[in-house]
Amino acid sequence: MEGTVALTELSTALPAGQLSSLGEAQVGRYLGTDWEFVYRNGDYLLRGMAVTIVLTLTSILVGFLAGFPAGALEAYGSGYSRAFVRKVGVLLRGTPILVIMLFTYFVLPIEVVLGAAEFGLRSVEFVLGPAPVTVPTDVPDAFVAATIALGFRSAAYQSQIFRGALGSIDEGQMEAARSIGMGRLEAIRHVIVPQALRRSVPGFQNEFTIVLKDTSIAFAIGLGELLKRSHDLFTQQTTAVLEVILFISLLYFVLTFGTNRTLDYVSNRFAIPGESS
Amino acid sequence: MSDRPKTTDGTVRERDADASARGTEPLLRIEDVHKSYGDEEVLRGIDLEIDRGDVEVLVGPSGSGKSTLLRCLNRLTEVDSGHIYLGDTEVTAPDTDPNAVRQQIGMVFQDINLFAHLTARKNITLGLRKVRGLSAEEARQRADSELERVGLADQADSYPAQLSGGQKQRVGIARALAMDPEVMLFDEPTSALDPELSNEVLEVMQGLVAEGMTMVVVTHEMRFARGGADEITFLADGAIVERGPPEKLFENPERERTKRFFESIRHE
Repeated sequence: MEGTVALTELSTALPAGQLSSLGEAQVGRYLGTDWEFVYRNGDYLLRGMAVTIVLTLTSILVGFLAGFPAGALEAYGSGYSRAFVRKVGVLLRGTPILVIMLFTYFVLPIEVVLGAAEFGLRSVEFVLGPAPVTVPTDVPDAFVAATIALGFRSAAYQSQIFRGALGSIDEGQMEAARSIGMGRLEAIRHVIVPQALRRSVPGFQNEFTIVLKDTSIAFAIGLGELLKRSHDLFTQQTTAVLEVILFISLLYFVLTFGTNRTLDYVSNRFAIPGESS
Repeated sequence: MSDRPKTTDGTVRERDADASARGTEPLLRIEDVHKSYGDEEVLRGIDLEIDRGDVEVLVGPSGSGKSTLLRCLNRLTEVDSGHIYLGDTEVTAPDTDPNAVRQQIGMVFQDINLFAHLTARKNITLGLRKVRGLSAEEARQRADSELERVGLADQADSYPAQLSGGQKQRVGIARALAMDPEVMLFDEPTSALDPELSNEVLEVMQGLVAEGMTMVVVTHEMRFARGGADEITFLADGAIVERGPPEKLFENPERERTKRFFESIRHE
């Protein structure tokens, strides 16, 4: 798997040009030696992109798993639980992502994080039965720290998306569900949440793009994602800064554009017939 | 399947023929119900008894408390004091499960409130599946027969946004009927519809009257009140001013307040 390979080779030295050598000369002849340099190291950058993609997915997943219940608590909870969730949210939204990431990397003990993940997984197994996954232990610390930082920061924003969407569902929907004898939780689950999830797609789309681009901040803790690897390259051949940055900008654009188009499709696919989306 | 008769073509008064077959035992008893919102007392001691099979129409100016009273009957609004009984069950008792009571009391809303993400059929099957625990197939058959009852068998797969207001409200009625309630509450079911669409809803309601369904109806539709009601209760300022059969309240009310109300409506 491309992602796995990339994860375990985060700190390896620059490989020699590994794309087919066919064409390198032509690239060099027509576009100059700096583009030839980018072309020769294309696979090195693409592996960085794989790390970026995997980091985005894990962060969004953590953000969803923590952010959705947090949003529901803000919308429906009461007392201490709601106050707690709100305060944590304010704290996370009020702190720069770079600061959060330096904290999770340099301060937060990795054993605590993996222990918490293990505990979470065991709790889920206790409720739902044996899970098909285990907590990975061979993941680089920087990757874990970046996932926690981006994931929980995203949870703080996703919770607001879901809170808003839940709150936007007309009260009459709840009353109608209660009037046929459904309990409050049943009504939330079968009537409110399915509508709220649809309404949160545009906000979620935004959040996905933001997290994707902010994976580049993991550069600061030395994680070999796309930006870190491009930096490795252009410090080696300093005349190629422009070319390398243009190239990774293109890669970022393809990723964000592709993601948005995919979520557009999902949004249309699950749109309620007859309602304008 | 439903054990109710399916005569929807009968005239409104037809069921009076078997009126003697009905017990005189009241199905709904409301005793000294009070309700306040902040400093404003919206219900000031309501007493009312509604017999099984009767149609009770609640009328009155806006703010008179008629919708609040209706919502107290299935505990969408909790009373401050007083008691409400459905048969032998005290609806308002603290240990009464409101979810159990609500299955016996159907409700139709002014805002209709169909589940927007579900087809007409699934609006009806949701309660049957999750509350009644019917199988998917049983629920589907029941839903289809209820849709047929309100004349919408061909719209089973339509989503609410694809239906007209009148069609939506008929699905709303079918959704409530599917739970096989003992009494149906209507909270201004046609107020959000233009007159043309109101008619198709009123026809369905007339059909229920003919079937002998016990109904409590808050409405400004005086044609329905005149033609369908057994009793009309006129409320003002959170209290019952006068109650009686339609002929009496329309033609010969005792109270001056009642007279003024019905005159003002006639001039609309």
